[in-house]
Amino acid sequence: MRTIRIRKPLALAAAALVLAGCGGGGPRGGGGSKLTDGKIVLGVLNDQSGGYADLGGKNAVVAVQLAIDDFKAKYGAKAVTKDITVVTADHQNKPDVAKTDAQQMYDRQGVDAIFDVPTSSAALAVADVAKQDKRLYFNISAASDDLNGKSCNKFTFHYAYDTNMLANGTGAADTEGGARNWYLVYPNYAFGQDMTRGFTQAVSKAGGHVVATAGSPFPNPTEDYSSLLLKAASLNPKPDTLGVMQAGADLQNVVKQYNQFKLKDRGIKLAVGLMFITDIHSLGPDALAGTTFTDAWYWNFDQTNRSFANRFYAKTQTRPTFAHAANYSAALNYLEAVQAAGTDDAATVVGNLEGKKINDVFLRNGTVRAADHLVTHDAYLAQVKPSSQVAEPWDYEKIIKTIPADQAFNPPSGDCHL
Amino acid sequence: MRKSLRFLPLAAGLVVVAVLPRVLYPPVALDIVCWALFAVAVDLLLGYTGLLSFGHAAFWGTSAYTAGLVAEHTGAPFPLAVLAGAAAAAVLAVPVGYLSVRRTGIYFAMVTLAFAQLMYVVANQWRGLTGGENGLQDVPRTLFGTHPFGTDLSDPYYFYYWMLPLALLGFLAAWRIVHSPFGRVLVAIRDNPARARALGYPVHRYKLVAFVLSAALAGLAGGLFAMSHQFVTLDTLHWTTSGQAVVMVVLGGIGTLWGAPVAAAILVRLQDILSLAHFEEVGLLTGGVFVVVVLLFRRGIWGTVAALLRRWRIG
Repeated sequence: MRTIRIRKPLALAAAALVLAGCGGGGPRGGGGSKLTDGKIVLGVLNDQSGGYADLGGKNAVVAVQLAIDDFKAKYGAKAVTKDITVVTADHQNKPDVAKTDAQQMYDRQGVDAIFDVPTSSAALAVADVAKQDKRLYFNISAASDDLNGKSCNKFTFHYAYDTNMLANGTGAADTEGGARNWYLVYPNYAFGQDMTRGFTQAVSKAGGHVVATAGSPFPNPTEDYSSLLLKAASLNPKPDTLGVMQAGADLQNVVKQYNQFKLKDRGIKLAVGLMFITDIHSLGPDALAGTTFTDAWYWNFDQTNRSFANRFYAKTQTRPTFAHAANYSAALNYLEAVQAAGTDDAATVVGNLEGKKINDVFLRNGTVRAADHLVTHDAYLAQVKPSSQVAEPWDYEKIIKTIPADQAFNPPSGDCHL
Repeated sequence: MRKSLRFLPLAAGLVVVAVLPRVLYPPVALDIVCWALFAVAVDLLLGYTGLLSFGHAAFWGTSAYTAGLVAEHTGAPFPLAVLAGAAAAAVLAVPVGYLSVRRTGIYFAMVTLAFAQLMYVVANQWRGLTGGENGLQDVPRTLFGTHPFGTDLSDPYYFYYWMLPLALLGFLAAWRIVHSPFGRVLVAIRDNPARARALGYPVHRYKLVAFVLSAALAGLAGGLFAMSHQFVTLDTLHWTTSGQAVVMVVLGGIGTLWGAPVAAAILVRLQDILSLAHFEEVGLLTGGVFVVVVLLFRRGIWGTVAALLRRWRIG
């Protein structure tokens, strides 16, 4: 039995592995009154490998780091602390992974506030953790209006945009522009379901009609939307507009297949629920030319935006999406609130932020609504330029009009009890 | 083995279980206990009845959803919700087991896998009930209110000690089954079904009862898992969940009962370490460990340790 001798190390190694790097045990600690452990840690939790990696991803970490740099430069020695760091994790768009990651960030990495979190189902899970751990969460990339509706809580802010903003902008504008009969395709999870609800309301309010809706799996590893798209022609009454509620890489796949099937030639126009500048960049502007959509922020809108975009470009070699700009803005405003309050105690910081009016690189006429923690601001109705009109790389959008904050967002729904 | 030695692993196991959330991050400790019980349930079938189920996620997940829904809609205290989940898993196991125990080997594995995939599709499509891709979120966790005897039940550390008795009950049940006349018959069936039948034992019926018991234990583990996370997702019904449990059993040592919990602890902790180190390809490493163990240590971790203990005793 010569071989047995080498097995003892295996058992020992196994035991060592289980206990390796012990720590983090014991009951949860309570919040301190000043800065806990003398430092501020910001967490960026988002998709860094899947379909939403371009619109936020690792570049959102860069944006948050820019905010930290600006904060340090502004306050110098007077800052509440010099020790401000950012940590990050990839939630793979899975709600259970997001929940575990968020718990780890708050409990083990000492994160004071989590930012970003695309994918509404994942964002709702993170909001639960924020509520339980009594730590801050600034949702940037998830759109579900449940985050500031029935799933709202005291420690969660819904920062950049929501499904109603998109529906009010695009749904109403396109319907008034002649889109009467809509066929909505959506990814079948919280975001897609809310988008479909929002668009249906906005379209009917503007006098249009939603003929049919169809959900696609999410995530959709087959990347195949042909059965949904081919159904469009057989519907009765025949739709004149295809409303695409997919986002990120899924949106790009739907648009590619829409163009392959030449649905435009069959009299079915394209409307897009949510689009980021990175989507236009991936597809090329001609694939989308003439499409109107609602944007929360555009890098080439004015000089303020442009100078931020230039700084961002220097670090990432891409132009920022509105999610990148919003991550920057949220991180900076969080740090400002901590500075003003003199503590990172979550409840105190929340008190400082509630009702605040903000104008910065991302927020124009911004208000942190105290009733439901939705951060409202001006939105924009944009149109994709054909490549002949694109003056420089990434210059894909023409801003048709500014939608004032109070029209862009719905009033508080009444479902939210903070 | 001498009596004193026989209780040594038991005493050591109880001590480890008692201090686990003090030395480890409590949510990880919770995961270890849940997965350990799940793997023991699979071992009961694989190690003691000779049936490789590749669809135990069906019972783990069904129970998780049942427990989550019961807690959400009735506000029942968590042990009741978990037991309801385990009962649902057992009920589901009756038809599934009835149809699958007539097959053995790869065919049995395929039939159970098919049923598990069926449950996955049902849960994904029945959005009104299960929430589809969103899952069941914010499942309430109560026992005499939210703060039994001044402990905050929302804190995983305290919840661990409240759920531990239920989990230990599950381990005890598995131990009792294995060390009962019924358990001996199962082993006889595993080793030689024809002879067991010749001796007058209704083989299919024994297998069916073993299958239902194993499913109930897997359900108990799944319900506890749902309550630990306060969250149920489609992943609980995914085939990789079944696969992970089988891997734990093989890694720990088939038919040892003790091996599965040890392997569960190692794998869950390994995944935790890797995720903290931002190593995304967890499967690459756990798969590698699996290959090494299967090739070099056929008896698994516990089988090897037990052989060592025996050698020491003799030598």
